[in-house]
Amino acid sequence: MRVGMPHMGNLYIPFKALFQRLKVDFVIPPVSNQRTLSLGARYSPEGLCIPFKMTLGNLIEAAEMGANTLLMPGGDGICRLGYYTKVQEQILHELGYNVEIIQLGVSEHKFAGLLGIIKRVSNNAPWPRIISAFRFGLAKLNSLDTIERLVQKVRPVELVKGTANQLYAQAVRAIDKAEDYNLLKKVKKDYVSQLNRVTRNSQARPLVVGITGELFVLLEPFSSFDVERELGKMGVEVRRSTFLSEWTKFSLFLNPLGINEKDRIHKAALPYLKRDIGGDGWESVGEKVLHAGEYDGLVHLAPFTCMPEIIAQNIMPSTREKIPVLTILCDEQIAKPGILTRLEAFVDLLQRKRRAEENNNQRVAI
Amino acid sequence: MIKVGIPRALLYYQYYPAWKAFFEALGAEVCVSPPTTQNMLVSGSSRVVADTCLPVKVFIGHVISLVGKCDYTFIPAIRSLKSKTYNCSKFLGLPDMTRAVVPESPHILEIEIDINRGKRQLYQSIYKLGRHFTWNPLQVRQAATAAWQAYLDYQEMMSRQGLTPPQAIERISGTPDTMPESHSSPATPPRATIGLIGHPYLLYDEHINYQLVRRLEQADNRVLTPEMLATPQLEATIARLVGRSYWTYEEEVVGAGGYYLQNKADGIIGVMAFGCGPDSLMMDMVHRQANRQKTTPFMCLTLEEHTSEAGVITRLEAFIDMIYRKKRRQVEVCV
Repeated sequence: MRVGMPHMGNLYIPFKALFQRLKVDFVIPPVSNQRTLSLGARYSPEGLCIPFKMTLGNLIEAAEMGANTLLMPGGDGICRLGYYTKVQEQILHELGYNVEIIQLGVSEHKFAGLLGIIKRVSNNAPWPRIISAFRFGLAKLNSLDTIERLVQKVRPVELVKGTANQLYAQAVRAIDKAEDYNLLKKVKKDYVSQLNRVTRNSQARPLVVGITGELFVLLEPFSSFDVERELGKMGVEVRRSTFLSEWTKFSLFLNPLGINEKDRIHKAALPYLKRDIGGDGWESVGEKVLHAGEYDGLVHLAPFTCMPEIIAQNIMPSTREKIPVLTILCDEQIAKPGILTRLEAFVDLLQRKRRAEENNNQRVAI
Repeated sequence: MIKVGIPRALLYYQYYPAWKAFFEALGAEVCVSPPTTQNMLVSGSSRVVADTCLPVKVFIGHVISLVGKCDYTFIPAIRSLKSKTYNCSKFLGLPDMTRAVVPESPHILEIEIDINRGKRQLYQSIYKLGRHFTWNPLQVRQAATAAWQAYLDYQEMMSRQGLTPPQAIERISGTPDTMPESHSSPATPPRATIGLIGHPYLLYDEHINYQLVRRLEQADNRVLTPEMLATPQLEATIARLVGRSYWTYEEEVVGAGGYYLQNKADGIIGVMAFGCGPDSLMMDMVHRQANRQKTTPFMCLTLEEHTSEAGVITRLEAFIDMIYRKKRRQVEVCV
């Protein structure tokens, strides 16, 4: 059995660690690129969202590399995602790949279900080994997210542009290579201190822009032309509330205990949207309400034709809490110059707004 | 008397008789918006973001047309009607979204229906809805029973007499509807049997589908719609094609489509709205099945506000001509 799975940002690193420890034959398809998207778009039904097309592209590339068991996230009551595997399996079969897709139904099976699937693909490895391998994967995920958070802070204020990105790329590689906890710890410490030592522009007061929206386009930089990095280049500090490590921690361990990190966000959204509408629509509205006073602006990322985000997008302008929102719809037709132009215009608008507010304050002071 | 406005869009076609019975048993008067017009579509489209789907734009147009004509607007949020199924986000967020984009709308009566959360929750939400009219729980209970009975009668009327929802609603309420009597005169045998699949709000809104059903019937074809099939048949088909159903309204597309593919409709037309989340996958499911079987022609008509009448007619004519030709050839081969 050769296992493959689609990409979502750096998710492949913890899974690689997990499967290496369990000695599972695991292939990693090429990091999402233009070919992935073209393949996905060619074989997908036309009206589908970019997460479907990208993951289909990944799955096809994994199948080309000989994978016959594909792990694909899914589950009940999310959005179209729950139906993905049914169609993707048919498409792969029609293309002549003899593969089986296993749905990782995190929302319904929780932790036990996930472990069960790991046990199955690892050819019935003993439980202690599975648990320890899983912990190691989680440790890698946590380190990756710690570094990423720091990079988001450094990027806008570094003196030499691009330093943080370079360090980030090195860190990701090093974390991927780390073979045990000691090494991982060392790598993490090393890069954290390196990032902290990057010379910063002490006068910079970066604009703070929140990023919210649909999980996949948030976490897969290729699908949104890496909006975060581009904003960083423009000297904007990006805040994102969705991190995979957080998400795993809560949805696997704490949600079953009744602790929900999103309660605060949902409560904020309540006056405008009373119920979960699937996907991340509720959270998008909530984040706007919650961060209205805190951030300078909000970038709302959504796949084209995403049902929950369309509802969120319709509701957002009517909230009493005001904050500029830029919605970017991602699909295979978007082009980098288009995104850049819109981001630049948005940042200009935020800067002008900040200047106007400061002038007003000065006048009041006088 | 309190007037409850019901937009003639989306779930109206499935549940209007039940809603009417419920509100009338509570002593309210029901006021339905007129059939869709171009103005409604335009006013609805102008309120929402561009990539909202056509039926929701139409719905918003209907809500706007009800402003000032009623005291309440009734907008349900239906999540599931069977255990472990799920509905499109647009249905779940409909009341909140309408409130956001049509702020001048009268107070919105909403009810969340989610079977997954158990019967208790369902009864509670029905009582909560009834509270707007009466404090007497018994009266709400009676109204709910009346609504259920009306719904069953409506369903039976459609499946037994082969009526489409607008025709059945017309019989029930006695109000003239736009749908003509069906051409089921036994004098001339139909030239072809066309199975239509899609959601009722697309199949029976004559404005947005350019009178699809009427056009097919006027050309002496027999038209089958998903309501004419019994639920067990549809469920069995879904089980065969995709396993457990995932969407609340999966029967109307995968169920009916799979059924027609097996039961010799001469052709199948799938009607979907551009950007429809569930249909983008479900229509594809039927399409692939049709491709594999290679016996029944399948065409998917995607509707949006830029769809033109001429485009729809051309495709329809080409499709029907192809079916006639196919039938003629079969006859010749037999002879």
